[in-house]
Formats: sequence, structure tokens, C-alpha cells
Amino acid sequence: MNDDDKILTKETDNETFVQEPIGYNYDNNIEALISENTGYKNQNTSPFLISEPKGFKYDIFNKIPIIKKMAKSRYFQYALMVPNFFVFYVIIISGFIGTPIGNRNIAIVVLWILWWFILIALLVPLAARFWCTMCPLPIFGDFLQRFSFLKVRTGKTGYLRNKMFGLNKKWPKRFKNIWIPNFTFLTLCTFSAILVTRPFVTSIVLGSMVLIATFLAMIYRLRVFCGHICPVSGFIGLYSKTSTLELRSTNEEVCKKCKDKGCLRGNEKGWGCPWGEDMGVMKRNNYCGLCMECVKTCSNDNISLNIRSFSAETKIKGYDESWKGFIDVGTSHAYSLIYLGTNGTLKDWVNAPESGNWTGFFIYVVSLWALSLLIIPGIFYLLSYLTKAIAKVKTVSIKEIFKAYSYILLPVGLLAWMAFSFPLIFVNGSYILNVISDPLGWGWDLFGTAEVQWQPLIPEYLGYIQIFLLLLGLGYSIYRGFFIGQKLFNSAVIALKALIPFAVLASIIAVAFILFFIG
Amino acid sequence: MKLKLLIISILLISIGAFLGWLFGFPLKAPERKDFVIKARQYSYDPPKLDVNLGDTLHIKLVSLDVIHGFYLEGYDIDAEIKPNVKLFKVRQPSEGFNWKDTSEISIVVNKTGKSRYRCSHTCGNMHPFMQGEIIVHPNRLLHISIGVLIGFVVSILFIFYQLIKKMKRHE
Repeated sequence: MNDDDKILTKETDNETFVQEPIGYNYDNNIEALISENTGYKNQNTSPFLISEPKGFKYDIFNKIPIIKKMAKSRYFQYALMVPNFFVFYVIIISGFIGTPIGNRNIAIVVLWILWWFILIALLVPLAARFWCTMCPLPIFGDFLQRFSFLKVRTGKTGYLRNKMFGLNKKWPKRFKNIWIPNFTFLTLCTFSAILVTRPFVTSIVLGSMVLIATFLAMIYRLRVFCGHICPVSGFIGLYSKTSTLELRSTNEEVCKKCKDKGCLRGNEKGWGCPWGEDMGVMKRNNYCGLCMECVKTCSNDNISLNIRSFSAETKIKGYDESWKGFIDVGTSHAYSLIYLGTNGTLKDWVNAPESGNWTGFFIYVVSLWALSLLIIPGIFYLLSYLTKAIAKVKTVSIKEIFKAYSYILLPVGLLAWMAFSFPLIFVNGSYILNVISDPLGWGWDLFGTAEVQWQPLIPEYLGYIQIFLLLLGLGYSIYRGFFIGQKLFNSAVIALKALIPFAVLASIIAVAFILFFIG
Repeated sequence: MKLKLLIISILLISIGAFLGWLFGFPLKAPERKDFVIKARQYSYDPPKLDVNLGDTLHIKLVSLDVIHGFYLEGYDIDAEIKPNVKLFKVRQPSEGFNWKDTSEISIVVNKTGKSRYRCSHTCGNMHPFMQGEIIVHPNRLLHISIGVLIGFVVSILFIFYQLIKKMKRHE
């Protein structure tokens, strides 16, 4: 049996597996749907089910062929990465040689005001991991693995049909999740007041990320840094589940019959998926970097880029993803208090290198980590326990309830992050004009905007935008929560009862943000 | 059925909004209120002024360390406060850079809800996050939004409840 005859799964640790069952008609098979979501079939519950609206789908490749043509081009990703690469290195250099005053240095203003807003408010909700398509951090690692930018090398590297350089070790299975990104993200958030106000700290962190990404690319196969280390990737990956964009196989039956698996293994037209995804079984956005290699390598031309309904994808696979949701809710509350709040003591605590209040910093760190890792999950566990008691279904465990319902935190969480990010750009956006003319804070005035007076934009209307976003997120959380419960318990009646504790929690989260923003 | 549910939802949300609006009554009589706001890196003291609609605020500004700004959203006021000086500069941003020296700002608060005052003069690392707030009671936007939120959540749950009831009837 040659390599081509071997049947592969998306689990790329081993070179040969039994293929995962794919191609169910989930829409007509609620049992399959329940199993798919929970791994459990409930037999003792009510048959009453409300059908979940199918939602909107628009196949971009099919309707706008030029986009597919662009995605098939080998220039596609680099056309996005290379300009970003130059901006990125201007940022790193500016951080080191420019003024240490954050709001006068392009490194801080472009990264933490402009990029952050674009990422949270536009890219993630509308375009999933599209940032990962153009992210310049892995550019050296990719090059060292491939020794090429545009040319594709055929050959054999493990299960891949591409010649790859480096040690090509397999990433340990126990780290094939987002636990490490959870902790790297929480660590960056802990030091955020230093990170987002000191240009040289921003540059050191970015530079370190490039080095780590490059180093790991030389040791491990594929984009290990992007999938399992990068602090931003875990955040983007989880919230991409809510996104209105997805890359999927057009017809699952075609993938089921496909033995070539060009998407996963690569071929002369492109590289095997850098994220280790098999398009035949990929149903979630979490680890799809939208690099479009599969569009090039699919021998059946069976890849679609779809616009879909918001928060259409609800499956949470592991506790790493649940905890990511908790961490994001915890950190977004902390950020709102620190950056949109008025408490001077708290600002002193987070800004310990300047204030010297290290005891306060310690209290802040312990509080943030306890809130994100213990208190919110603890509350969620109690609610899961309560839901189990309300549902009175013995065959669904508290763990299953805990994991499945943790999705509820995503729509409201993402929209809360958006609501937090709007004041950043609308209030501090005029600094962008200043740094365009004077990127290093050296007194230049390249475009005559260096001395434009700081002026917040429509500050009196921001509250309305924030309330709208929070209500939208809350609505989606509760709406999707009902159908999560229905899949879990196989009963609409139980799903409605079980939803109440989580709907109350999501409402409390939204109210807390409303109090921060307008209270 | 769809129209009925939509009307009931709008009704529930409207009731929530109305109850939230009612929460702001009775209004308190306007009065004069005096404040001394001390600015320091990176906060104001007091950080929050609780006042009532129609109150006249007389605000003195003091800096305890470096030069700070005081930009009051929605009132066209921007000030520059130097440390250890009783007078400070004030201007109306809509009229450009026409600074005047003064010892007190006087404003009549005519908008309910939260207005932030922010530092408008770069004062250090955390400068962009230096802010305080004036809460003008009744905070109608807050009360109405929480009322709307409760009405919204109840209406979603109600819709699911009605759909289940309808399904059971068909059974």
C-alpha cells in the first residue's frame, strides 16, 4: 500500500488512521446531530423539537469567481503578508528608537488602537481568521520550512507530499489545543498596561513572538506557533466560531470518496494545510487560518468560501475552549475597569513599574487570574449543576452541560470586546493622524497632521453603539443557547428550562458591561 | 403567529423601556454644586461627580503633579491645568485655540446620563486612559437600556415558550 492509498484523518499525529465518519445528513438526522455535538444519544426525553433555522449561506467562490482565482494564485497570501511585514517591522523599529511616549509613537497607536479595533470589530466577526492569512509573524518560519516563497516543493515529509526543511517533529498531542494560548494571552493581559503604553515593551514582545515562531517552525512541522502558542490566535480562533465567514468543503460526499487528500497532504499545486486540517472533516473555524492552500491543492475543486449567519457554529470541543471563553470574559471586564474606568488606585496597581505599587500589582494579578480561571468557571459549574437538576436528565453529565453551554459566552463576549474597543478608536483615533506625520515622535510633520489637536469623535453617542452591540451579543447567546440545549437534551421543553440559568448569566455579563459603559 | 410574537416582543421590550424611564422619577430640584477636581497621573479626584439634571456646577481644577487636560464631553469645554497654579486655561474646542485664564468653570448640566472628562494633554504613559465622569441623574439611558435588556431576554424566552406550546398543540 503506498502513501496515497492510506486513509487519513485530520489527526495528523500518526501517519495512518481509520478515516473519521463524514458526510452525515445532519439536517435530517437529529440523533447524528446529538452525537456529533455531545457524543451522546439521549433516549429518555421528549420528542418535541423546534427546528433550528438553517441560516444564510452565500458561496463567494461560486458567485464571484475572481476571488477564487485570486485565492488559487500563489501570490495571494504573500500579497497580503508582505505589506503587513513592512508595517510590522516599522512598528518594531519605532518601538525601539522612537519616543517612549506611547500615544506619540506609531508602534503603540497603530498596533493597540488601530489594529486592535480592526481585528476585534471587523476582521474576527466578519472574516474569521483572515488576520492569520496576512499575519507577518510566521513569515520567516514559513520560509525556513519551505525554502521558498512562491515555488511549491513536492517530496515527502511524514504524511505530507511536500518537501519541508527543518527537524519536522510532531507537536506533542497533549498540547494540541489552546491551553498554552490561554496562558500566554492571560499573561499578556496581566501586563497589558505596560505592554500597550510602552513602545519598547511592545517591540520586545512582538520581536520575541517572531523568534519563537521561527524557532518552533524549525523544530516542529507546520504552523505550531499559530495553532498552539500564539496568544492572539487562541482569541481569534475561538471567536471565529461566531464569524460570518467560513472555508469549507463544498460537498462532503466528494471528500468522503477522495483518496488524494490534497488539502491535508499537499501536492505540486500547493502545500499541505499549514494548520493540519483535513477539509473533509473540518466543520469548525477554530484552526482554519484561511491561507487558501486547500483551494489550490484540492484535486476535486471542492472548496467553498461561504458567508454565513453570525454565530452559526456552536460546537465546543474541549475544556481549553471553554476556559478561553471564561478568560476572555474575565479579561474584558478587567480591561473595561482599567482602561475605561476612573479608579486611580487600580490604574496605579496595573502600572506598578511607574507607581511602584507592587503590592497592588500582586493583588491585581491574583484577582485577574482567580476571576478568569476559577471564579467564572466556578460560577459556570454551579449553573451547569443547576441546569442538570432542572433538566432532570440522568444521561447527560454536568461536564457535557458545562462544555456545551460555554459557547453562550462567545457571542456576548465578542460583542462586549467590540463595545470595549469602540471608545479606543473613537476617543483616541486622532492620535493616528499625529503619528502618521511623526511616527517616531521626533518632531517631524510629514503630512501636516503632527500637531492636530486631540479630539474624541462622537463620544456622546458611543454609549448607544455599545448598548446595541451588547444586546445583539446577548440575543445571539440566548438564541444559540436554546438550540445547544435542544441538541444536548433532545427536548425543546428541557432546553428552555435549562437555558434559564445561562440566560441569566449572559444577561448579568451584559448588564455589568452596560454599567461600566454608561452607568 | 410570527406577527403576534413580534408584536408581543416589541410590547415586552417597550414595557421594559417604559419601566426603566419611570425609574428616573421624581426629578430633584436643580441646585448649585461646587467641586474641586484634583488631577494627578492618571486619574482625577473625585473620579465621579453625581449631580442632578439642571444643576449648576462650579468646578475648580488643580493639578498635583504635571500638566493635565480636562476635556468635558458634550459641553465643548477643554482646560489645561498646570501644577501649583490657581488659574488654569480654558477654551471651547468648537472655537479653536482661543484660550482664556480662569479660576473656575461654570456649567449647567442639561443632558442626563454619563459624560466623561478626559485628560487632553499628554501627561505620561497611561495618559490616554486618564478620565473621570459626571453622572447626571436620572441616568435615563442606563435605566432604559436595562429595562430594554430585561424585556428583550424575556421576549426571546417567551418566543421559544410559544413555539413549544404551538408544537405541542399540533401533536
